[in-house]
Amino acid sequence: MRIIDLITKDRILLGASAADKQDAIEKMVELQAKSGNLSDKEVYKQAILAREAMSSTAIEAGIAVPHAKSETVTAPSLCAMTLKEGVDYGAMDGQPSDLFFMIAAPLNGDLHLEILSHLMVLLMDPQFLAALRGAKDEAEFISVIDRFETEKYGAAQETKPQKSGYQVLAVTACPTGIAHTYMAAEALEKAGKEMGISIKVETNGSGGVKNKLTDEEIQNADGIIVAADKNVETARFAGKKVLFVPVSDGIHKAEQLIEQIERGNAPVYEHKGSAEDVVVSKNEKESIGRQFYKHLMNGVSHMLPFVIGGGILIAIAFLLDDYSIDPANFGMNTPLASFFKTVGGVAFDFMLPVLAGYIAYSIADRPGLAVGFVGGYLAKVGNSFANITGDGAVSGGFLAALLAGFVAGYLVLLLQKIASKLPDSMDGIKPVLIYPLFGVFFIGVFMYAVNPAMAAINTGIINLLNSMGGSSKILLGAIVAGMMSIDMGGPFNKAAYVFGTASIASGNYDVMAAVMIGGMIPPLAIALATTFFKKKFTADERKSGVVNYIMGLCFITEGAIPFAASDPLRVIPSCVIGSAVAGGLSMMFGCTLRAPHGGIFVFPVVGNVVGYLIALAAGAVVGMLMLGILKKNKTEAK
Amino acid sequence: MVSAKTTIVNPMGMHMRPAQLFIKEVTPFGCDVTINVNGKDINAKSIMNLMAACIKQGSEIEIKCSGDNEEACLKAAVALVESGLGE
Repeated sequence: MRIIDLITKDRILLGASAADKQDAIEKMVELQAKSGNLSDKEVYKQAILAREAMSSTAIEAGIAVPHAKSETVTAPSLCAMTLKEGVDYGAMDGQPSDLFFMIAAPLNGDLHLEILSHLMVLLMDPQFLAALRGAKDEAEFISVIDRFETEKYGAAQETKPQKSGYQVLAVTACPTGIAHTYMAAEALEKAGKEMGISIKVETNGSGGVKNKLTDEEIQNADGIIVAADKNVETARFAGKKVLFVPVSDGIHKAEQLIEQIERGNAPVYEHKGSAEDVVVSKNEKESIGRQFYKHLMNGVSHMLPFVIGGGILIAIAFLLDDYSIDPANFGMNTPLASFFKTVGGVAFDFMLPVLAGYIAYSIADRPGLAVGFVGGYLAKVGNSFANITGDGAVSGGFLAALLAGFVAGYLVLLLQKIASKLPDSMDGIKPVLIYPLFGVFFIGVFMYAVNPAMAAINTGIINLLNSMGGSSKILLGAIVAGMMSIDMGGPFNKAAYVFGTASIASGNYDVMAAVMIGGMIPPLAIALATTFFKKKFTADERKSGVVNYIMGLCFITEGAIPFAASDPLRVIPSCVIGSAVAGGLSMMFGCTLRAPHGGIFVFPVVGNVVGYLIALAAGAVVGMLMLGILKKNKTEAK
Repeated sequence: MVSAKTTIVNPMGMHMRPAQLFIKEVTPFGCDVTINVNGKDINAKSIMNLMAACIKQGSEIEIKCSGDNEEACLKAAVALVESGLGE
């Protein structure tokens, strides 16, 4: 930690005048806010005042160091002020204070103690004080600090070896948060070990954040790798060197990434605390397509739990119900079934609002959430100007909710841009009045206007799917299932998957059945191949092949990735063909699935489960045979 | 001269407020107060010296008092540190 790194020219005010202590504090808080490290200036000021109320921070020789730790401080910073005429700051020696250093420190850690200590060592030197007070301009002030700090603590590089903690930090995250997140973490840890570089990886998986990076570790690290396909919390990395890459780079290019950080080749990340700036900085690095994908996946990953929970409960309702009582009311005939169907239905009702809400959240941060939710709900109900109350309206469906999410997000960004022209004094009411009021109003107008068109498209697609005859349905099943195993978790896979869940949302359950079976085939086919074609695999591969049985049955396609990566031209076509066979058969047997995840665990609620098992077995065997034919014999290493 | 060893217990360590409190506590006794931390003697009646020493939680320190009322001063100083320096 060095003082010189915490202060910049624009946070120094020389030869100012202040009427009294209060006035001096006001002036310094304004200076401090220029760092962009305060998420709420007022809260920080209150913390400073509260601290002064306990006892004055004036020390001796006309120096005062007002300081506060606060959760509103995103990164430590320092500002300095000298006064022409000192003010009474309540110093113990009764002298007026004219030289101020104001410290802002985050809530956690010993940092603020270290900054204070460091500063005191410098301030004890009368020559340092004289040089500071004599500085002609801000640049000279900075150079005085630099000169004395180097004298006392040596050049910046010398402090490096004493650093504790990790050299490189990383955060990994993927939309589903099941496999890629952890594979990237493992790859990075392994690469770090091989290169002799200490590394800590935080995983933001579906089970929440594990191995969380602490503020102190972030402070001490050379840089941070963010390998993520969804948004992760980045405000904490402000001022550090940060690389933003897709999660797949974390898996395949771990070594290059670590090397890049260690060479200091990463750009310094700036977080200004508002979504606008984050998106601007993203624009420079990420293609439009990747941004779109990331926002979409943020929505889908938040929506999935609703679909899974609701879908399975509804399916259970049908299992428990008695069809013969009233076929028209199937699923609600017995009280027990009715309970499951109602609870599941409520979860389903949240699907579209949550999807739209979290797409908007991904684009515009918190202010986007409410606007997206409202847009998604209007999409679900299908209100329009011809049908204001929405009674009996045709739902705009999944596509309308998607549109609502994106429009809501960018609408809020636009509002933020317009609102930035308002005076600063109105900052406080923007998030509590302006964004919600205008955001919700405009998204309402927009959804009312587009819903009729979206409803028509949605109905058209549903009718098309329903009217598809036998052969075209089989083809559709084969295609979506095949797509699941082309890239095993990549964009093709996700596109097919989103299509499957979208079909559930519109009441078509056979597509999802084909999609899931397509995703189960690759690991299963590989597992079978490692059992029956031992010669085609190395000993290590055979060992990990066993795990693929479980992965396959649990619908974790990613289990096949290591095999596909080592021999893509033979493994991927085998898997795709196996998956396509299974998907086509699933369609042919008319299998349906109301839950978008779960593998073998949701088989009890699959429609025509016997046909589904046959399709699964057939696809896996075809995939296995293809592997057996295509793959070359491995000469054993051992 | 009398001296005693003790440990800083308050989580934030000897930051400015505890240091101010410490000085207010020992000054009335009139003796010289020195704290030895990490093998270095520092003047414990100077706020700047105390701060510069960067004494964190868990640090072992030796308080030395020398002069008028040294016994009473040492007792008060140790009690204050062990009570968590007012935190």
